[in-house]
Amino acid sequence: PTIPPTTSEPTLDISEMTGVHIDPSRAPVAFGRLAIPELFAQLVEPDAARRLRALASLCDLTHDPERLYQVVSEGFLDQLEVLLKDGDAAVRTRTCELLHLVTSHNIARQALLSSPLLARLSQLLDDPSPLCRTRAHRVMNSLALLPAGAKALQALVPKLMLKLQEEQEEKEEEVQALLLSTLSCCSRLDAAPALSHRGVTLIGRKLSHACSNIRREAAGAMMALSVIVIAMSQVCEAAVLPVLADLLRDQDVDVQANAAGAIMNTVVITTGKHQCLELDVLPVLLELLSQRKPDVEEEQRRKALVLYSLRALTSLAEAPEGRRRLLLQLPLLVGRSEPPEEDADIRRAARTAVNVVTWTP
Amino acid sequence: MSFVSRNQKGTNGTYTFSSRPRPVENRSKYREKQTEKAEKAHSTYGNIMYDRRVIRGNTYAQRFLSTMVQEDLAEMQRQQELRRRAIAQKNKTKEQLRSSTPEAVQGRKHNVVQTELYLEELSYNIELSHIECQTDPLLDRPATPLFIPAKSGKDVATQIEDGELFDFDREVQPLLEVLIGKTIEQSLLEVMEEEELACLRAQQRAFQELRNAELAEVQRLQEQERRHREEKERRIAQQREALRMEKETVEKIAARAYTQQYLADLVPTVFQSLRIHGFFYDPVEKDIETNFFPWLMAEVNSKLEKRNAARQLLDTLIHDVAQKKLPLYTNLETRPEK
Repeated sequence: PTIPPTTSEPTLDISEMTGVHIDPSRAPVAFGRLAIPELFAQLVEPDAARRLRALASLCDLTHDPERLYQVVSEGFLDQLEVLLKDGDAAVRTRTCELLHLVTSHNIARQALLSSPLLARLSQLLDDPSPLCRTRAHRVMNSLALLPAGAKALQALVPKLMLKLQEEQEEKEEEVQALLLSTLSCCSRLDAAPALSHRGVTLIGRKLSHACSNIRREAAGAMMALSVIVIAMSQVCEAAVLPVLADLLRDQDVDVQANAAGAIMNTVVITTGKHQCLELDVLPVLLELLSQRKPDVEEEQRRKALVLYSLRALTSLAEAPEGRRRLLLQLPLLVGRSEPPEEDADIRRAARTAVNVVTWTP
Repeated sequence: MSFVSRNQKGTNGTYTFSSRPRPVENRSKYREKQTEKAEKAHSTYGNIMYDRRVIRGNTYAQRFLSTMVQEDLAEMQRQQELRRRAIAQKNKTKEQLRSSTPEAVQGRKHNVVQTELYLEELSYNIELSHIECQTDPLLDRPATPLFIPAKSGKDVATQIEDGELFDFDREVQPLLEVLIGKTIEQSLLEVMEEEELACLRAQQRAFQELRNAELAEVQRLQEQERRHREEKERRIAQQREALRMEKETVEKIAARAYTQQYLADLVPTVFQSLRIHGFFYDPVEKDIETNFFPWLMAEVNSKLEKRNAARQLLDTLIHDVAQKKLPLYTNLETRPEK
């Protein structure tokens, strides 16, 4: 088989080469607009190996937005529902991978959300094959990043909390991280379901996990949860604040940022303020503020950390004890609110902090 | 074996001789009898290259067989025989060790080809005449002239034109271009896709961070507002409570003063009214009142009744009289008028 010359091909995709069996694990792709329908026709065949090959080719093709549009607009997504119930684990895994690729585009996401595929996906979370579970979690995660998706997944939050409890026995770090990320996205929309299923205790346990990904996601979930007042009081009661204070000294910038965010949310209520002041969180936050990295990209990553620390300090300054201590550190805050600081958001936050600190009744 | 040899006198009387080329027979060392010679049917043909009679190589330094002494001839021959055997032995072993050219591949044929600079026609013509000359021993030998054999045979030339040779580098270029180009384009697409996704994620993350910070601020302000409001309400309630207490106290005081004042002359009034209502009574007086006076009144009443009755009786008497006297008087009235 010869490779056709470049001039006659309109697109620049290797997978467009017709009739060439370069890769035996992928089915041959028909030319032009027949590619997708033909591959989907192969998906109903009784032989699992052929289905797998067709799925592999589909995964390759859906990287192209035009093909994806064709898949969605001609309504082929519903056929995938049958495949999700397939007996072969590899087929299910590949279907999940295909769905994950599909969720990177808006029309596909909307189509997914309005189809019964979601119910199937939630069933797949209990799948015996770990790879399949991981992929299903990945699809859920990418769906949850969209507000409409988060709303649709609200109904699944109890099940996800259950999964979180179960996952403690297994060592699936990626699944735990994905689960926590999905939960934090759903909780940003509405934290009540997660809270009512003992969210604070479960997530609090994950805060001290060995893997930094899990810590980051758990801290993020905690931050999303503690927007509600009830959660704040729960956090204070459950003694999660010491753990969060420890996380402030973590190696990873993102973990620190999320922990600072959770603290910033919790110190809004008075109990939180008092606990934090007792735990001596103030010096840590000030130190995080005063650090300046020379690298611009590093600074951008730390922007979240700086912002959250400033807000936490603002809240702490409302307590008389905190105000007293922060008055001593006023120059630092003023330094951050002046023009040498490039970022407008940080300047604004620093100015608010200064205002609160110097407020007199 | 028959050979064709032609000795003839040519047209102008020159002598020509030509014979077919024939291979040379092996001559045995010992002379054979005449009878056996005639019966010799198969004789082996020797290789001309290994024939002792063929002079090979330089003819200027030749072995001088003819000037040999007769006594040493046998000796010489024996030595030569030994030498020949040794060489044959060596050649045989060499031939056994040396591998010959492998057989030709199917479709091809091996050809013996001369590779010297000038092609020479090999022929089996044997030198028949032999002329030699001897130069002066003291003369310098001139340089050997370059041996250029006379040209014989046909000339055939071949030329490779431009573009006929297969240049691998040139031919492979388009293939390489396609392969590498496609690979790189595919990888570029994938990298761009990932970058796009990373960009989206970064944007989302930035938005989330800002949102979280602002949300915290909102929460803080809300909390502050709530606290202030609660404080205010508490203070207001306190104030109200205080006011109420005060008012109550004032009222109590006023009520107390009023009641005091009111009740100040309560006692005398009570006594007064009691006295008025006759609760404080003199028993004698009461007794007089209750017992005496009714009797008195009754007596008076009876007396008066009697008097009244008497008067009434009188009245009726008068009335009767008057009545009786009325007509009389009326008559009296009318009569005087007349």
